[in-house]
Amino acid sequence: MWRVLWTLVARAARGPRRSCTRQGSGAPAPGSGATIFALSSGQGRCGIAVIRTSGPSSGHALRSLTAPRDLPPARSACLRLLTHPHSGEPLDHALVLWFPGPQSFTGEDCAEFHVHGGPAVVSGVLQALGSVPGLRPAEAGEFTRRAFAHGKLSLTEVEGLADLIHAETEAQRRQALRQLDGELGHLCHGWAKTLTKALAHVEAYIDFGEDDNLEEGVLEQADSQVRELELALSAHLRDARRGQRLRSGAHVVVAGPPNAGKSSLVNLLSRKPVSIVSPEPGTTRDVLETPVDLAGFPALLSDTAGLREGVGPVEQEGVRRARESCNFLDTVVIPPGAGSPSENSRRLLLVLNKSDLLPRGGPDPRPDLPPHLLLSCLTGEGLNGLLEALRKELAEVCGDPSTGPPLLTRARHQHHLQGCLDALGHYKQTKDLALAAEALRLARGHLGRITGGGGTEEVLDIIFRDFCVGK
Amino acid sequence: MFSLRGCGLCVAASLSKKHLPLARFIGDSAAPVATNFDVVVIGGGHAGTEAAAAAARCGSRTLLLTHRVDTIGQMSCNPSFGGIGKGHLMREVDALDGLCSRICDQSGVHYKVLNRRKGPAVWGLRAQIDRKLYKQNMQKEILNTPLLTVQEGAVEDLILTEPEPEHTGKCRVSGVVLADGSTVHAESVVLTTGTFLRGVIVIGLETHPAGRLGDQPSVGLAQTLEKLGFVVGRLKTGTPPRIAKESVNFSILNKQTPDNPSIPFSFINETVWIKPEDQLPCYLTHTNPRVDEIVLENLHLNSHIKETTRGPRYCPSIESKVLRFPNRIHQVWLEPEGMDSDLIYPQGLSVTLPAELQEKMITCIKGLEKAKMIQPGYGVQYDYLDPRQITPSLETHLVQRLFFAGQINGTTGYEEAAAQGVIAGINASLRVKRKPPFVVSRTEGYIGVLIDDLTTLGTNEPYRMFTSRAEFRLSLRPDNADSRLTFRGYKEVGCVSQQRYERAAWMKSSLEEGISVLKSIEFSSSKWKKLIPEASISIGKSLPLRALDVLKYEEVDMKLLAKAIPEPLKKYIKCRELAERLKIEATYESVLFYQQQQINEVQQDEALQLPKDLDYLTLRDVSLSYEVREKLHFSRPETIGAASRIPGVTPAAIINLLRFVKTTRQRQMAMNALPKTDQSLCDTESLEERQL
Repeated sequence: MWRVLWTLVARAARGPRRSCTRQGSGAPAPGSGATIFALSSGQGRCGIAVIRTSGPSSGHALRSLTAPRDLPPARSACLRLLTHPHSGEPLDHALVLWFPGPQSFTGEDCAEFHVHGGPAVVSGVLQALGSVPGLRPAEAGEFTRRAFAHGKLSLTEVEGLADLIHAETEAQRRQALRQLDGELGHLCHGWAKTLTKALAHVEAYIDFGEDDNLEEGVLEQADSQVRELELALSAHLRDARRGQRLRSGAHVVVAGPPNAGKSSLVNLLSRKPVSIVSPEPGTTRDVLETPVDLAGFPALLSDTAGLREGVGPVEQEGVRRARESCNFLDTVVIPPGAGSPSENSRRLLLVLNKSDLLPRGGPDPRPDLPPHLLLSCLTGEGLNGLLEALRKELAEVCGDPSTGPPLLTRARHQHHLQGCLDALGHYKQTKDLALAAEALRLARGHLGRITGGGGTEEVLDIIFRDFCVGK
Repeated sequence: MFSLRGCGLCVAASLSKKHLPLARFIGDSAAPVATNFDVVVIGGGHAGTEAAAAAARCGSRTLLLTHRVDTIGQMSCNPSFGGIGKGHLMREVDALDGLCSRICDQSGVHYKVLNRRKGPAVWGLRAQIDRKLYKQNMQKEILNTPLLTVQEGAVEDLILTEPEPEHTGKCRVSGVVLADGSTVHAESVVLTTGTFLRGVIVIGLETHPAGRLGDQPSVGLAQTLEKLGFVVGRLKTGTPPRIAKESVNFSILNKQTPDNPSIPFSFINETVWIKPEDQLPCYLTHTNPRVDEIVLENLHLNSHIKETTRGPRYCPSIESKVLRFPNRIHQVWLEPEGMDSDLIYPQGLSVTLPAELQEKMITCIKGLEKAKMIQPGYGVQYDYLDPRQITPSLETHLVQRLFFAGQINGTTGYEEAAAQGVIAGINASLRVKRKPPFVVSRTEGYIGVLIDDLTTLGTNEPYRMFTSRAEFRLSLRPDNADSRLTFRGYKEVGCVSQQRYERAAWMKSSLEEGISVLKSIEFSSSKWKKLIPEASISIGKSLPLRALDVLKYEEVDMKLLAKAIPEPLKKYIKCRELAERLKIEATYESVLFYQQQQINEVQQDEALQLPKDLDYLTLRDVSLSYEVREKLHFSRPETIGAASRIPGVTPAAIINLLRFVKTTRQRQMAMNALPKTDQSLCDTESLEERQL
């Protein structure tokens, strides 16, 4: 008989969002400078990507990457070899432009790097910029706000910008979520928790250490937590530099009842035998992921165990993982009998496989189902229709011109993790407790750019939870 | 009914300054006097006195209305001022020429700087204060303030009139009605009623309506405010019992001695009124399991603890300490109440048990075995007004020219009250003169942090200042409050005396000169090592070190530097404060550079003003979610910076707001609108000028 597959493309709308409240309170703007940088052209496969900086260190940044050359003449494009300011490693031949303020987009000194658009080049240049002292990645909408502050935006320019900023934050949030599921996410949240606690204890020692009786060893405990955190962070960063495999692109999960042909579909879409296919139900027992190019979009395709009850523990775990992966991935395939993987209203593609078993030209087998596609993995019939449908859905997920691919998100993570580690180094060096706490605040601010949180209220909550203080 | 005790002397003293219009005191039975004032301040507590004095310093004819003149300057809770964070506030109040720091320098009995070993940014200036002296000195100050009149009376109602069309608000206050039916007309009114709005005192299961033990609450005023549509909340606080000094066995307790030398609170004082050796000690004792038992056994007799009125997350009372942190001992500081006071204030023993149980509890504490309780501890429950209903100048959104300061805004503490009082008094006066408001940004001072937190986030527990609330803590230090605020106070407001201004200016130029001299002296590290062997300078650093870098070492101070390099440094050690401040500047130099950049970023957002009359709920042409609209509607942020600090207001909403402001501006320009006095318009005007 025919089987049913649902494909569901979802925007995971939950997850950490950088709190815009109390900017700086407990989470001061990270890094040090007032100079920001960001990829300002669209993501994906484009010929040229434009990276922009704004702020007083723009000229310095431009010189650092194009050293030892002087600044190019204002507002004219020059070809330069970009190199990493520390390692000297060549990054790309790029067109660079120098816009001294106030005649620039934001009214501040600006620089533009028109690089070849591959994610590796773009992320390399962004990382190089992040290593220049005084530069930090821009927050959502920051270029716009600076331009506005300097009276640089005409009304037409501002039209629609809010939508873009909105999309940008949504996209970042989704990306952050994707990047943060799994190991790195657990790590970051764990670090953030430890760090917030250490910060809260140091703050408590400052604000209440003399008047109230805190327990002995509050500072020593914070010290050792910071030391552990430093070790963990530096180990992670060393590891990350060697090159972790990237989970890039939109996540497409194929889910459905056993033996519906999920693995066959995965193999068909990836054009290689990723999963073992057999007529036996329950062949796939774990979530298998493979990066694919789906209709021109980078995607991570996951094959899952068939959703069914009353099987052995191994398969049951596979089923659990399958359900779990449906919670935060972009695309899911499940059968009608097993219920929706999530109560959230998500757009979905319903695919009925094994259409070759139907009589040719016959009527729709299940007019009662929502709109669906017919497919035969065996004959390939209906594949074009499925690809077209997937393209539409993926365009919605990935097609946002301001969304950076995960590689860039990762560059951002690395920037902030490195910033966090550097700040922790200052914690150790200083005897002045106000300076020490400042280092922890800075470190927490960096982690906050990844995980959110860490503001004054959170710190005070911990203080009042952990210590008996008050008049 | 009213006694001149403690005031007669001051009034007499005031007669000596004949060249100025002097403060007057009007008793209940006094002959009819002018009942027109620029500013009327209701309440003579820590917010009220500062507000009244500040308004008068700004040149406004001011009336201070209080229930009883002899309670002006009363310290109704702890006999101390300052502390960590609170000391910062006092320095800022002083930088604006406020009263409490100077009065404390004349009234303290035990001066001690807390956090001495934790870095100068978090030093906490603190002193035990003689209640009687403080009250006396404060009354003397108030009754001698030019342009300030003091009158006894309970305010029952506000006189309201049509609003000024160029400002927001549904009506305007133009005076007050007293309990005896008489009226006083005023251009601005500052309300500093503390815990008196429907105040209730709780001891055990008994409750009495009262603002403070022995004083009646203000019920009529609370009703008026509620009728006007102010959102009212309820908070509770408490105070410990008082103990007879001679009944305490101090000999078995830990003694804490004051600092030597004493560091004054005020920038204009070199020293305090009393020598360290004449000051009184404090003693430390601890609770024990027996105290826990008494508290836990008698919770059913404790209505203050049982009720649901929001108390703070921190532990204000011994009951909450025992409940939240069981099986621990807690500190109890035994603090003197004054030079010739027979009372001891057991800091940390705030309690609302029935009186006899309080005494039972006290006597099981070490050193207090034979203690005699003179006055029981009690809880106070009172109304406060959600502070998101006021602007950063402390004027209410609803009623024009009505200002709130102090506990009425949900804060706790003398210093928090004083800080708001100064700002409210200054702005009440500026409002009368039709001048732009004086707002302290959170990048400029703890006063700014306090008011910004209150007006943008509100509070649901008594708000108390901590240094952890200040994100720019390294810049907002007790030592540099004058350079942050005195010049603004002098130039923008006129609330600062010439003498103070000149001192601050001298200090500023000396510091700048000193720092540039310290930057100009450069030697190799080995030479420094020879010059100052005490310093742990690591030799072998290739770059030459500036004197400023050497001063960063913990063990180096200006004295040591000046000994090594007398010329040109020796002149900088003549003034203790200057030498200390140079050292502090050196300590934080590298971090301050970056902090300044962050401050600039925040200030840029704060320079973008939002029109005050926006009706966020019905605003068209701007895409904002209902949730965001409600939040903006309630807090009415004045700047983009403040809006972005409201939880839940997204970056997208901020951009939308920016766009809206810009659109509105252009439309207004097109209509060729007449120039207006509204501040937000003036500021967007200047924004426009910057556009190329």
